[in-house]
Amino acid sequence: MHYESPVRNPLILGDKSYSDITNDIAKPVESKAPRAWWIAFSIAFVMFLWGVGCILYTIGTGIGVWGLNKTVDWAWDITNFVWWVGIGHAGTLISAVLLLFRQKWRMAINRSAEAMTIFSVIQAGLFPLIHMGRIWMAYWVMPIPNQFGSLWVNFNSPLLWDVFAISTYLTVSTVFWYVGLIPDFAMIRDRAINPVQKHIYKILSFGWGGQAKHWQRFEEVSLVLAGLATPLVLSVHTIVSFDFATSVIPGWHTTIFPPYFVAGAIFSGFAMVQTLLLIVRKIFKMEDYINIEHIEMMNIVIMVTGSIVGVAYITELFIAWYSGVEYEQYAFLNRATGPYWWAYWSMMTCNVFSPQFMWSKKLRTNLIFTFVISIVVNIGMWFERFVIIVTSIHRDYLPSSWSMFSPTFVDIGIYIGTIGFFFVLFLLYARTFPVIAQAELKTILKSSGENFKKHHDEHGAH
Amino acid sequence: MGHTKHNPIVRALFNDDDVVLGAVKDLRSNGYHVSEVYSPFPIHGLDEAMGLKRTRLSTAAFFYGLTGLFFASWLTYYTMTLDWPQNIGGKPNAYWFLNMPSFIPVMFELTVFFAAHLMCWSYFAVNKLYPGAKAQNPDPRTTDDHFLMEVELEGEEADLTKKLQELGALEISKVEA
Amino acid sequence: MFEFKTKTKQLAIALTVVGAILWVVGFALNGSSSHDAGHGHDAHATEVHADAGHDTHAEEAHADHGHDAHAEEAHDDHGHEAHAEEAHADHGHDAHAEEAHGDHDAHAEHAAHQIANRPWSALYVAAFFFLGLGLGQLFFLGIQYVAQAGWSAGLLRLMEAQSFAIVVPLIVIALITFLGFGHVHHMFHWMVEGINVPGHENYDAIIAGKRGFLNPLFFTIRILIYIGGWIWAAKVLRKNSLLSDTGDGVAMWKKNRGVAAAFTVFYAVTSSTSAWDLVMSIDTHWFSTLFGWYTFAGMFVSSFAALILLTLYLKGQGHLEWVNENHLHDLGKFMFAFSVFWTYLWFSQFVLIWYANIPEEVTYYMQRFEQYKVPFFTMLVLNFILPVLAVLSRPAKRVPGTVVMAAVFVLVGHYMDHYVMIMPGTVGDHYGFGLVELGPILFFAGLYIYVVLSSVAKAPLLHKNHPMLTESKNFHQ
Repeated sequence: MHYESPVRNPLILGDKSYSDITNDIAKPVESKAPRAWWIAFSIAFVMFLWGVGCILYTIGTGIGVWGLNKTVDWAWDITNFVWWVGIGHAGTLISAVLLLFRQKWRMAINRSAEAMTIFSVIQAGLFPLIHMGRIWMAYWVMPIPNQFGSLWVNFNSPLLWDVFAISTYLTVSTVFWYVGLIPDFAMIRDRAINPVQKHIYKILSFGWGGQAKHWQRFEEVSLVLAGLATPLVLSVHTIVSFDFATSVIPGWHTTIFPPYFVAGAIFSGFAMVQTLLLIVRKIFKMEDYINIEHIEMMNIVIMVTGSIVGVAYITELFIAWYSGVEYEQYAFLNRATGPYWWAYWSMMTCNVFSPQFMWSKKLRTNLIFTFVISIVVNIGMWFERFVIIVTSIHRDYLPSSWSMFSPTFVDIGIYIGTIGFFFVLFLLYARTFPVIAQAELKTILKSSGENFKKHHDEHGAH
Repeated sequence: MGHTKHNPIVRALFNDDDVVLGAVKDLRSNGYHVSEVYSPFPIHGLDEAMGLKRTRLSTAAFFYGLTGLFFASWLTYYTMTLDWPQNIGGKPNAYWFLNMPSFIPVMFELTVFFAAHLMCWSYFAVNKLYPGAKAQNPDPRTTDDHFLMEVELEGEEADLTKKLQELGALEISKVEA
Repeated sequence: MFEFKTKTKQLAIALTVVGAILWVVGFALNGSSSHDAGHGHDAHATEVHADAGHDTHAEEAHADHGHDAHAEEAHDDHGHEAHAEEAHADHGHDAHAEEAHGDHDAHAEHAAHQIANRPWSALYVAAFFFLGLGLGQLFFLGIQYVAQAGWSAGLLRLMEAQSFAIVVPLIVIALITFLGFGHVHHMFHWMVEGINVPGHENYDAIIAGKRGFLNPLFFTIRILIYIGGWIWAAKVLRKNSLLSDTGDGVAMWKKNRGVAAAFTVFYAVTSSTSAWDLVMSIDTHWFSTLFGWYTFAGMFVSSFAALILLTLYLKGQGHLEWVNENHLHDLGKFMFAFSVFWTYLWFSQFVLIWYANIPEEVTYYMQRFEQYKVPFFTMLVLNFILPVLAVLSRPAKRVPGTVVMAAVFVLVGHYMDHYVMIMPGTVGDHYGFGLVELGPILFFAGLYIYVVLSSVAKAPLLHKNHPMLTESKNFHQ
């Protein structure tokens, strides 16, 4: 029943009982915030405020305050949008795809990864909204007749597909996350002493009681949601890639974009999960639950997806030459050797070369090294989008209009602001939500807990 | 799920999932009706052991998804072909099918949107979960590390109590229905 | 232990022999009905050319010299020097016919080549399809080790056996491509004599630009690397697996993890490059960055269909008692998931090319859409709609009948997909389904059955010291 092959490493360390799991996971919610939390929160909040200021300035003055020009009319806004959407993907991947593949190690990290998904999709959604200029007209993207006449939104446009994709993704991820959270909120509710806290968690837990039938439905719903979220996550980044690939711009129009964007998204998302969890496990002392095994697994995913992305880069480069289309060939030559060569080679270094270190067992189980690589990968993935977007359009078919792009302080401010906003949300989440899906985790204690595994190995499995 | 009107209920508390699963199997084979088990996490095989039917939520999700697919097809047909057809990017909209590849992303998204959201609402509705609802578990320990079983009392109370004790129950109490 | 009975063996050999005979007969008969293409009574000249490139003007219009024939011209001249469409009616009555006359000999030769290509292409389609059945499972076998999969430990021997089925198709594929260098057939446009020689009548500037990659020497080296690398992986994974039966299962498992990791990296590159070499280069002008992954997905999903049929066959023979409906469910899920994945890649490639409508790319689909409408749409139904609906629900994945039905859809559908990938570039509209197509299918099916079942029979079906075996036996959905 609870058998697991002895060659697998334990996922829950220490001599744990069900009750220990409850206590360990409820602890951050019930105790006062550690100092490190306050410091991190203050920094994030200041960044957030700066971002709010820059956004208000943009809305008040117009998007002329950005560094965009006639040739490069899409730059940091869409780069940041794609970057944030991409980061979000790992959350869904961990909770949905790894659930379908029955990877038990996901249970320790899926909750935080899903939270990350939602928070980063919120950041992503901000960019198209701000870019509209008149943000109060944002509802025009909905399928309503324009100005209430009879001209409809354009269903041929990938940008409209994005509206549907991102809203479906955000709402479905939220529901998926919440369905999983309900039993854990109930756990906090049932042990809360403070009446205010008890009341809040009573509202949040929807009255969950854990009846057998309810668990049966819970598992079914989780499975179906995972089945729906898996193609959904593919579709979202596919549609994001369509924003570029349906065009006829060399460097943008290439058929590998959909799966390659998805792989890149998973890659950057896992790197972000890695960054966040290395911090969470330390601050909240969750080392027994998020242990080296989990970190190693994530590093392997990073290595694999980084290599897939590398294969895609090389494929693009090769096919550009093979196509015999001079515009294609120039676009790639310009990427690697033109004025933005540094962005291209930063991307290559961070995304393709740096994950290859993870082939070494020693390095992929080294926490500091892992942390550094996770940051490097996220920088690399930001550059990837910048390279794709800006270097493809800054030298177009008309050499007389070639130009360069340089960001203004507003571009930078909004970007930094979204990072602040993201961390504000994540830190608030980490203090008030059960950061590990404890109910699910309890189901694998007997098969993957260190003490139980040891017992099985010594006394034989029944 | 609902238990019959008049039989009182005996509640037994356990502290291990395997024990509770074994107990359910044992009681059912002895003719008792285990009407409910409250547990902190899903126990694999418990639904079968209790004789619960499979849930139909996934079937419902399929039809919800189909609804979304039809809705999206209608929406794109109505807006792009019927109401105001235009030739966009060299792709005329005289027939819906001509431009269908462009609509597939939206059709897919709405399929998922309908399937996921309507299924979750159904899930909340059938489980009677809503914000602020009263906790449905009678004993707060069942969200931590305890398991509460409800057995309908038919026959002698003492027999059942004894049986439950043998099966590993820690606490036993009786509730009038 | 499975015994490869004589009767089954005879059946497999019979299939192979009959298939070979059918192909040879088909080869001999091929073109006899219309060897004088261009003058034939039933010959159509429907030309949709795939080279609407920059300044190419390969489109030719052809007068049909037959009396009842008509010339249809589906032009898609997106090139910069647009050509007027020329459609010529009956020779005797149309004054414009002379114009086409100059092109006539070249065209007749082209059509004759296309007709002559058909047996070779048909053999090639079947070889490539059956290569996929083995190669997909070889990759999947590697993944089982890399991903530390537990559920599948009881099925590894079947994957190993399937992996060996790559050998014969690989040899056939290599031989066909090498024959192309000798101009025995004209399947590969880039192998035409003088294609890269400026001033030569066959000179093609675009293809000449690809010479650095598409040249006989480098091509041959690549083919040999694929053959060597893939067969090496199949052999080593098998060897270690057999060693574990008598030795230390955990040590061999760890060793195979290393082999599998190396192979996965190798395959990540070669799966794409081999698809470019073996299939994409047929439509030499055309290119698509997704093509390698698309081809891989098709191979992968059809190999699951083959694995399902093999598993159920062996179970039907009373073996594999440790494999139950939970394992079948998982196999069904994989086939389902990769059907969806294949469709996703198909759609991605199609929609981007359709949407952007760039001449150098879109001709690929225009030709398929106009000349291959029936197989083109049928294979989409077979590869996506039918298998997905058949095994969408959980109970359906646990019933052998529905899973087998879905597997058959997938196999037929992917044969057709390969057909639609390869045939248009080699035979144009001179396609069909006759002896030359049926023969190779039977030929390779017979060999496939023979190779797979004889290697299944060589070792115990249970990988008894595999560290995941108990997990696999206990596996429950």
